[in-house]
Amino acid sequence: MLMPPFHLHHPSTIEEACELAAGFLETKESFDWVAGGTDLLPNYKWHINVKQHVISLARVQGIDTISMHEIGAMARLGSIASSRDVHPLIAQAAGKVASSLIRNNATLGGNICLDTRCFWFNQSEDWRRSIDWCHKEDCGTGSDCRVIPNQNTLCVATYQGDVAPSLMVLEGLLHIIGPKGERQIPVDEFFQLDGITRNVLEEGEFILKVTFPEGVENRVGSYKKLRVRESWDFPEAGVAASWIEGDLSSLRIASTALESIPRLHQQEIDKLDGGFSTDKILQLSYAMMKSIKPVNNTALPPRYRKSMVKVLAKRCLQEILGDGE
Amino acid sequence: MAGGYRQQPGASSGGTRKDGKRVAGKQKFPPPGSGGSHPNMGPRDLDSIPESVGGKEPQPAGSHIHDRYRTGTEVGKPRALVDSYAKVTGQAWYGDDVRLQNEIIGKILRSPYHYAKIKSIDTSKVEALPGVLAVATGADAPNTFGVLPVTKDEHAMAVEKVRHVGDLVACVAAVDEATAMEALNLFEIEWEVLDPVFDPRKGLEDQDEPIHWRGKYHVGTTNVQKRVFQEFGDRSLVVDPTASSHGKWRMEGVHHGFTEPHAVVAHWDPNGRLQLYTPQQVPHYAHRALSTVLEVPMHQINVIRTFVGGGFGGKSDPFPHEMCAAILSRKAGRPVRITFSREEVYWINRGRHPSYIEVKMTADDEARISGFDIDALIDGGGFASFGHVTSYYNGVLATAPYELGSFHYTGARVWTNKPASGAMRGHGAVNTRCAVEVGLDEMAEQMQVDPIDLRLANLLPPHSRTISGFRITSNGMRQALERVREGSDWDKKFRQLPLGKGIGIGCGFFISGSGLPIHWDPNRFPHATVHIQIDMDGGVTVHTGAADIGQGSTTAVAQVVSEVLALPIEMIHVRSHESDTSPVDLGSYSSRVTFMNANAAIRAALDIREKLLNAAWEMLGYHPDVLVLNDRRIYYKHDPAVGVSYLEALHKAQEDKGSLISSGAYRSPPMGGVHKGAAAGLAPAYSFSAYIAEVDVDVETGLVSCTNVWAAHDCGKALNPLAVEGQIIGSCHMGLGQVLSEKMVYGRTGHLQNPNLLEYKIPSVHEMPHVTPIIIESSDPEGPFGAKEAGEGPLLPILPAVVNAVYDAIGVRIRTLPLSMDVVWKAISSKTRSLGGIEATELPSPRLEHSLLQQTLAERGAQHRERDRRRQRSEDTSAYVNGVLFGFDPDRPLEDQVEGWKSAVEPVPEQLAELGLAGKAWLKKEQRQMGGDK
Repeated sequence: MLMPPFHLHHPSTIEEACELAAGFLETKESFDWVAGGTDLLPNYKWHINVKQHVISLARVQGIDTISMHEIGAMARLGSIASSRDVHPLIAQAAGKVASSLIRNNATLGGNICLDTRCFWFNQSEDWRRSIDWCHKEDCGTGSDCRVIPNQNTLCVATYQGDVAPSLMVLEGLLHIIGPKGERQIPVDEFFQLDGITRNVLEEGEFILKVTFPEGVENRVGSYKKLRVRESWDFPEAGVAASWIEGDLSSLRIASTALESIPRLHQQEIDKLDGGFSTDKILQLSYAMMKSIKPVNNTALPPRYRKSMVKVLAKRCLQEILGDGE
Repeated sequence: MAGGYRQQPGASSGGTRKDGKRVAGKQKFPPPGSGGSHPNMGPRDLDSIPESVGGKEPQPAGSHIHDRYRTGTEVGKPRALVDSYAKVTGQAWYGDDVRLQNEIIGKILRSPYHYAKIKSIDTSKVEALPGVLAVATGADAPNTFGVLPVTKDEHAMAVEKVRHVGDLVACVAAVDEATAMEALNLFEIEWEVLDPVFDPRKGLEDQDEPIHWRGKYHVGTTNVQKRVFQEFGDRSLVVDPTASSHGKWRMEGVHHGFTEPHAVVAHWDPNGRLQLYTPQQVPHYAHRALSTVLEVPMHQINVIRTFVGGGFGGKSDPFPHEMCAAILSRKAGRPVRITFSREEVYWINRGRHPSYIEVKMTADDEARISGFDIDALIDGGGFASFGHVTSYYNGVLATAPYELGSFHYTGARVWTNKPASGAMRGHGAVNTRCAVEVGLDEMAEQMQVDPIDLRLANLLPPHSRTISGFRITSNGMRQALERVREGSDWDKKFRQLPLGKGIGIGCGFFISGSGLPIHWDPNRFPHATVHIQIDMDGGVTVHTGAADIGQGSTTAVAQVVSEVLALPIEMIHVRSHESDTSPVDLGSYSSRVTFMNANAAIRAALDIREKLLNAAWEMLGYHPDVLVLNDRRIYYKHDPAVGVSYLEALHKAQEDKGSLISSGAYRSPPMGGVHKGAAAGLAPAYSFSAYIAEVDVDVETGLVSCTNVWAAHDCGKALNPLAVEGQIIGSCHMGLGQVLSEKMVYGRTGHLQNPNLLEYKIPSVHEMPHVTPIIIESSDPEGPFGAKEAGEGPLLPILPAVVNAVYDAIGVRIRTLPLSMDVVWKAISSKTRSLGGIEATELPSPRLEHSLLQQTLAERGAQHRERDRRRQRSEDTSAYVNGVLFGFDPDRPLEDQVEGWKSAVEPVPEQLAELGLAGKAWLKKEQRQMGGDK
């Protein structure tokens, strides 16, 4: 399928990238950022939300650091997966993304900013015309949501990034830059409903890097991914958890691929009577499951995906907590 | 060998009409190996291969008619496919690799509606767009076509109405792809949207506007495209069974998932002849359809088959886009190329039918299978395609390998507003085979016997006749079962593994070439023809129309020619791409190519061989009977020093006639019964297979992983063991996809939700089990050097083997395919609930304690083993028909022996009330019976 035409820009510094973005904002020309291109370009090939300009971050120097406390947005998932310097949980999660070919190109920043997915949306133009478009890409028709008909206020497309929940449970901090300057935000506050809004990034902003607090190296974590095939597939459900060994109060657990944004489940931990303890693994897993409402827009039915949250959370917790303290 | 095997008991006379024509079904089974009227080969009572070319080769399945022509050069040796060098170096030219000078790009406008009438199409804006060179609509090609002459219901582009989302509406050719795509948006079409039908069960009901209209043959005003009823045997046997199984299955549609999307290039050459480049499995039918649609005689069309990047049945129909390219090219006067996107591939589909299958089986007190009742409702989508045949195959291909007391089949294929289903590897046999094999497993459990022993004691022997009249020749079923049982250590594992681990068995039976060609009476043309030409350089050029779709047909042809002429395979050059130069071959479907085409090649090679030997006779003075061909030399059998080189003999043979040229052909002998539909499923030989699969089931998530497969397939004789193993392993992969993860998902609105390779879940290398391929060689008397098919049959057993293994692992029978994780989880959940809400990890594993019947079966199996050995080696050539196991005399018509022996192809009115889902199609009358013939 032929990709529609666009102008590609190759800034070599962060400043240059910000200037380009500021320029387009001023002239009101539409643009996209592209990092590895493994998410954006397939959508472009399907003629989904194509912009006039694409700014590539591939030549921007110095934003591909890979270390325990800092990972650059342009670090390739393949390099992260095979790195001995990053936290093992990040390496584990990055290694489960798509296939090795895609990981060689895909980046951490791209994975965090992954567009939400929906089987009414990720389709060719001819196909979407046959359903008369959808709310997320209405082609100016004001179309309804096809997943939950008769509501065109909320997009329920599913966020299917693999790495975000692991960043959340390791207390990752996102460094964002744009024409208005730099700012920082915890990963668990980065994502924002709905499936169209996706996150707090404002126009012209992009992610620079993720940093982790001192002591992150003491955290033990695990990521469980539900998928049909051991390669290629996006997660149908995913749960990541981590704790500092011996300190039950440090437990963090997050889920992905179930709703329009990934979520840290601090609330469910806090609601447990007397805080979390190892005999409450099933209780916490059940509470997480209860809090999640998937919709029917991925390969597996929502009821099943919801039920699997319990299993994944249980397995995650049992793995990191072992037989007790 | 005297007489041959009898086709029908008691039908030894009356086989010829007054005018001398043979009456189908009243013939004796001809001696195997006698296909065609003038078989160019000697009798089969040869002792062995001459010692000079490999000594006395052991022949476990008896001698073969081609034994005398073995030279030990190629046959039976593992060989990389001869076209693999082009493929691995990237030089193979697939459909989209064809680049002609001045080519322009064609694009197809597709229907956005499931079902709608086209009231008008305005193309003026399209034509006005700069860069657009041709536009065509349905009005440009009103003639219908279709792969089967009885169901020509397709147009190049929609005439009057569209029948599914993605159906072709119009097409345009422009200077480049971008312009062509832009042009697609400029068509102005007025639609009248109609009510679509998606559920095949709804298709059985009367509609206001049926999707197609068959005139006086139309069934009511329903969407039933084809209905079948068949009943054979003694129905009284099913009363009061010792064991029975009743299963209702839901099988999703699956797609072939070949790598190469459809692509076509059409070009009208300076002489006004059409040159059409297309990756076709069946170029000949495309050739015919093009001639009809374009109204151009066949000799003015040259169909050039490019390399085919996988077909599996999905490239065997003549396709509308092939017509579109030709029409656009004719209008524009320039070559037109059309390449599909993956969505378009899914929209043209022709994959396996989504099916509702119901199987009732019974066994009597001696664990004999007294009845098979099959009801198959299949969802045909918008067009007929191969559906007429599929409707039969769903039933009739279940009539072997077991001996049945009775057989009852009702089938219906229904049009729906979805992409058309068609032929896919294991055509029509796969789904019912799965249902039947799982039913056997269930009956074995009820009778507390080992399911392998149950099978071994109920097999039809070699050289027998099935209940519906198929001629079984070689039969390696028993050996296949024994080999996988041994290889997998079955007796130590079955019903003994812990929860979550399971092992299961499944068998398969498939045709090796369709006995009747689709397009002509067998008395008129051969099924396959091969030409061989040798010039003075000694190189052998073989012309064949066989379409190599990756299965290795080109290699097989090269190998058998190389074997007969004792020339290294590098000297054999196969030309098979162009219809201008290749003799007609019916194409790559029904697993016919190696069987029929290699047989034709052998005959052509024998002709050349005779010429060479006669030349050598003249030079050496020794009669050809005592001459031996071996490695580019012809010499005296008893003194190898006396001989001539191949080239010397060749030049002698060429002395006064120039190039040596020969033509060989194959057609299957007349076979089968006389009832309606008797020809469906007839084949000159059948393949048999038995697989054992081991699975791990995650009882909490429902994820099934297949870990090991022991796969035994009887391919008669492995001409190329490497290729056979490849086919077996590839079949496992494809079948695993259908049983574990692949499905075409039609959502709430009837749209195909996953027309791409990310969401259509073909197993990856991680999901692939370790497969141990086991080749069984039963030496088919009619096959080339004993070979039968290995391309489709090996797919069948993997499905039931996995389903049965899942039962062994978790004790839950699941009858919904694919066994995706959510389906298995749901089944486990309802089981745990029914057991009082236990945890999935506490499920009881099924266990087996043998009943007394087990001993009976083991003894009967042992007797049958000896019976089969004698029949296979032609030590026993007595008649054997289905029914002998139940005590009938094979030499008298069964109707005379049992009152009420059925042989019916239409239901009697009393039966109508009890028919299954598909059987309901018989509740309606045809228009002609209702006095209508609109």
